[in-house]
Amino acid sequence: MSIVLRLAWRNLWRQPRRTWLTTGAMVFSNLLLVFMMSLQFGMYGLMIDNTLQVFTGHLQVQAPGYKDDQKMRQTVADVLPLADAIRAELGSDRVAARGWAFALASSEERSFGIGIYGVETVFEPQVSNIPGLVSDGRYLASNDAAEIVIGKVLARNLRVAVGDELTLLGSGVDGSFAAAVVNVVGIFDSGVKDIDRNIAEMPIATFQETFFLDGAGHQIAIVADNLDAVPEIQSRVRSVLPSDGDLLVLDWNELQPGLKQAIQADMGSNFFMYFVLVVLVAFSVLNTQLMSVLERTREFGIVMALGLKPGRLGRLVILETAMMGLMGTGLGIVAGGLLTLWFTGNGLSLPGMDEMAAQFNLPARMYPEVSALSLLAGPLVVFLFTMLAAVYPALRLRWQNPVEAMRAA
Amino acid sequence: MTAVRCVDLCKTYCQGDQDIKALDHVSIEIAESGFVCLSAPSGGGKTTLLNAIGGLDIPDSGEVYVAGQRIDNLSKGALAELRLRQIGFVFQAYNLIPVLTARENVEFVMQVQGVAAADRHEKSTAILKEVGLEGLEDRRPAEMSGGQQQRVAVARAIASKPSLVLADEPTANLDSKTSDELMELFTHLNEHHKTTFVIATHDRRVMKYARRLIRMLDGRIVDDIDQRAA
Amino acid sequence: MHLFGVLFQLAWRNLWRNHRRTIIMLGAIGVGVWAMIFMTALTRGMVDQMVTDSIGILPGHVQIHNPDYLDDPSISNRISYTDTELRQKFESAGFESWASRVRVPAIVTSERDSRGVTLLGVDPVAEKDISFFDYAEVEGRFLSDSGDKGIVIGGKLADKLETGLGKRIVIMSQDPDNDIADRGFRIVGLYSANTSAVEEAYAYIGKSTAQAMLGIGDTSTEVVFLGTEYRNVEPVYEAVAERVDERVSVQRWYEIDTYLGTMLGVMDGFVLVWVIVIFLALSFGLVNTLVMAVFERVREIGLMLALGMKPGSILGQIIIESMLLLTLGLATGNLLAWATIMPLRDGIDISIVGEGMEMWGASSMLYPKLYLGDMVLASVVVLLLGFLASLSPAWRASRYEPVEAITKA
Repeated sequence: MSIVLRLAWRNLWRQPRRTWLTTGAMVFSNLLLVFMMSLQFGMYGLMIDNTLQVFTGHLQVQAPGYKDDQKMRQTVADVLPLADAIRAELGSDRVAARGWAFALASSEERSFGIGIYGVETVFEPQVSNIPGLVSDGRYLASNDAAEIVIGKVLARNLRVAVGDELTLLGSGVDGSFAAAVVNVVGIFDSGVKDIDRNIAEMPIATFQETFFLDGAGHQIAIVADNLDAVPEIQSRVRSVLPSDGDLLVLDWNELQPGLKQAIQADMGSNFFMYFVLVVLVAFSVLNTQLMSVLERTREFGIVMALGLKPGRLGRLVILETAMMGLMGTGLGIVAGGLLTLWFTGNGLSLPGMDEMAAQFNLPARMYPEVSALSLLAGPLVVFLFTMLAAVYPALRLRWQNPVEAMRAA
Repeated sequence: MTAVRCVDLCKTYCQGDQDIKALDHVSIEIAESGFVCLSAPSGGGKTTLLNAIGGLDIPDSGEVYVAGQRIDNLSKGALAELRLRQIGFVFQAYNLIPVLTARENVEFVMQVQGVAAADRHEKSTAILKEVGLEGLEDRRPAEMSGGQQQRVAVARAIASKPSLVLADEPTANLDSKTSDELMELFTHLNEHHKTTFVIATHDRRVMKYARRLIRMLDGRIVDDIDQRAA
Repeated sequence: MHLFGVLFQLAWRNLWRNHRRTIIMLGAIGVGVWAMIFMTALTRGMVDQMVTDSIGILPGHVQIHNPDYLDDPSISNRISYTDTELRQKFESAGFESWASRVRVPAIVTSERDSRGVTLLGVDPVAEKDISFFDYAEVEGRFLSDSGDKGIVIGGKLADKLETGLGKRIVIMSQDPDNDIADRGFRIVGLYSANTSAVEEAYAYIGKSTAQAMLGIGDTSTEVVFLGTEYRNVEPVYEAVAERVDERVSVQRWYEIDTYLGTMLGVMDGFVLVWVIVIFLALSFGLVNTLVMAVFERVREIGLMLALGMKPGSILGQIIIESMLLLTLGLATGNLLAWATIMPLRDGIDISIVGEGMEMWGASSMLYPKLYLGDMVLASVVVLLLGFLASLSPAWRASRYEPVEAITKA
């Protein structure tokens, strides 16, 4: 170790309590930053996945205007062949065509207005998690069966069970009266009340027939392997669309603009909090380093009188700060990483989180996700601000006159 | 009436792996309104003896009486009370509280004792005048010379009318002229207020002011001279 | 008391002895406290807005339902009291803001399309104190009385149904005998709300009209009561509960809207956690400052002890110094918070993440709410924890041996 390094290191330990307390402030902030960021990014990932996997998917082919208005006549013509073409182009099964309609569902005792998806029974399970959530009975068997699966709350409200019949009344694509009688074959339980109360699924061919859709549907949902692959898939899907039509390929952010913005809003408030923590650490460091410079005024005066340039002393102070900063960063990353890992294994649950989680399609127990970003981003910013905080104390040295410095008590 | 009586005091310090006998069977009596110098080379035990008398340090064995009251077996709180009410201290340096002015330093002990403000003010004014610091009442220690600071310390030590003032090397940081002035002040106060003074020093010029000179070496009293006769 | 005077004087002067350190600490505490209160005000503002919006649309701090209604909101689960009985119970008892309503799920059909809505039969006269139509904008007019034959729907719903002011729509619901009850209405008003989800969800008709259409005589499905403040609904709750029997259930608003209720609790918890986290980040600097202050003053502490000051007074002196520092910091922080929040009273436009906020259930204007209680909470927590944090350095200072301390080089 060079003499300057050794000098800096020893200076640091002249006041061990102070050094530990300042380092402690860094470790505390770093620990929080690492943990919070890991939790946050883990949560955002889940929010996106869980929201999109219910119905939205990563991409959808739709008619223009359908996203905002969801009108019956804003259709995708020949939706099944088009879905086949997309599947062939992408070499993936995770593509499914759907129709959507509003109808009055009546049991013997009750009637409720519900939203009904007409789905491709084979491919729907590849793009949505609803088919997998059928807790009673089974999922739809074939595209032309007169069957329906409904949510748990709806089943309770309609007072129906698996095997009962439902009458559907609605309007067809041309505004004419549409009706069908279907068998309840399955009841799903998604845990999200709005979905369990308002949504039903039936086979797409039966659906098209009931609502006079004549081979048309309203959307084709496509799921990509990951979010990064979305833009590429989007352009490949576009290439398959009929060139004379005006169909759109919308990505998840266009389909669910609230999702990204909810994340941005949350990030905004979190970054405000992180920033405050970092600023407080900077104050702590500024205080410590300024004190350490002031109490050594006399000593520095002597060294300067011996001919050492103030600039070198300034660098010494910067070096001391850097050492302290590195300790704080290192210990903070380790402590934060360990804490996060523990919760990654055990999960984290807070009172009231069930309700909050349900609103955002999140599980009630959260598992933070350690990544290089969440592990390093916070501590690096803390380190940066630590070094910034040392600038003023170091500069003070440059302004110092050796004789005055020596005279100081 | 004796102001201070010590019987067979012993005190041993550990320094490194060596035991140092700071007090080795010391017995003395100091009469009321006495003016006594304890002299010894450094490490001779004078500060230890002074601290034992002042209740700042407890001897390993032996008895200490101040104004007839035995103090070596008192609790810390009782000792603090004793120091507050009956003993005035003048130390070698760092005698004053830096954030307080001369007057406030003098009033400090009285304030802790609970003396009323008007009373305090009157007393501090009088005493600061007596020690020759009239006009400097509102200066802080950093704005005064070493001699002036020691005068403030003396003023504080006698302000609450203690029966005993203990001074440990009060002139160590002063030049000879200022030392003489301070010692004359001590003499004046001793005669004027009948306060007992015990001054630890190794400065010969200080010793000559004392009426009684006790010499110590290696924790033992080696000489006890009544200087009035000389 | 005289002793306190001495200690206070010493503490105050000692505080300004190292003015740089004190100013840096004041800066840190000021920023910390500002962040505590500012963030809290934003949070409070958001939650207040959410609650006011939610309660505003369907006002009622305390509500009465048939015990089965909440799980199964069907017309069969009506309140067992008639309107006449309700009037006898509550009008004479001095309840000012109360109303009964008919709320049922229904289907609204235009020439073009149909949708599910929540149909509300309201008495505009009784609702006039509590209705959100006081502040929601209505194009056209709102219902004039309980027997009004018109309907008021949200602008967004009108868009989706491709209908508009003055056009006719058909409302379909279910009567108690499970027969379809339907009736045509002319749209007399279109309302706009903070979120499009609300505009799509509710349709308003006169209460008598609704009762006639559903054939339920003069019964209703809910009775709502408004208190003075949504956070304090207990007085109303108790008064209402006293006057009804077990055939109905009385609930506070947060028991009905559990998401909001939980949100409120979570936010309260968040505020406290945030205040504590900031304090912890500050505490390192605070303890550091005190340790330094004690360290620099070892000799004079020894002197004071030698002069007969009790250790307890030394302890008190350090604690007073710490409390003074914190109080000044709190004053700075609170002032800073007030000064930054006041200019933002008229709201912060965060419509850039508006759809995200909608997902959180909040609107895209954020009105920071500075509550005295929050300022007091932050201050009390800071002083209390500050007191605890100062104990260790203060205790150490009071334990010095006077002789050793004085002779300390």
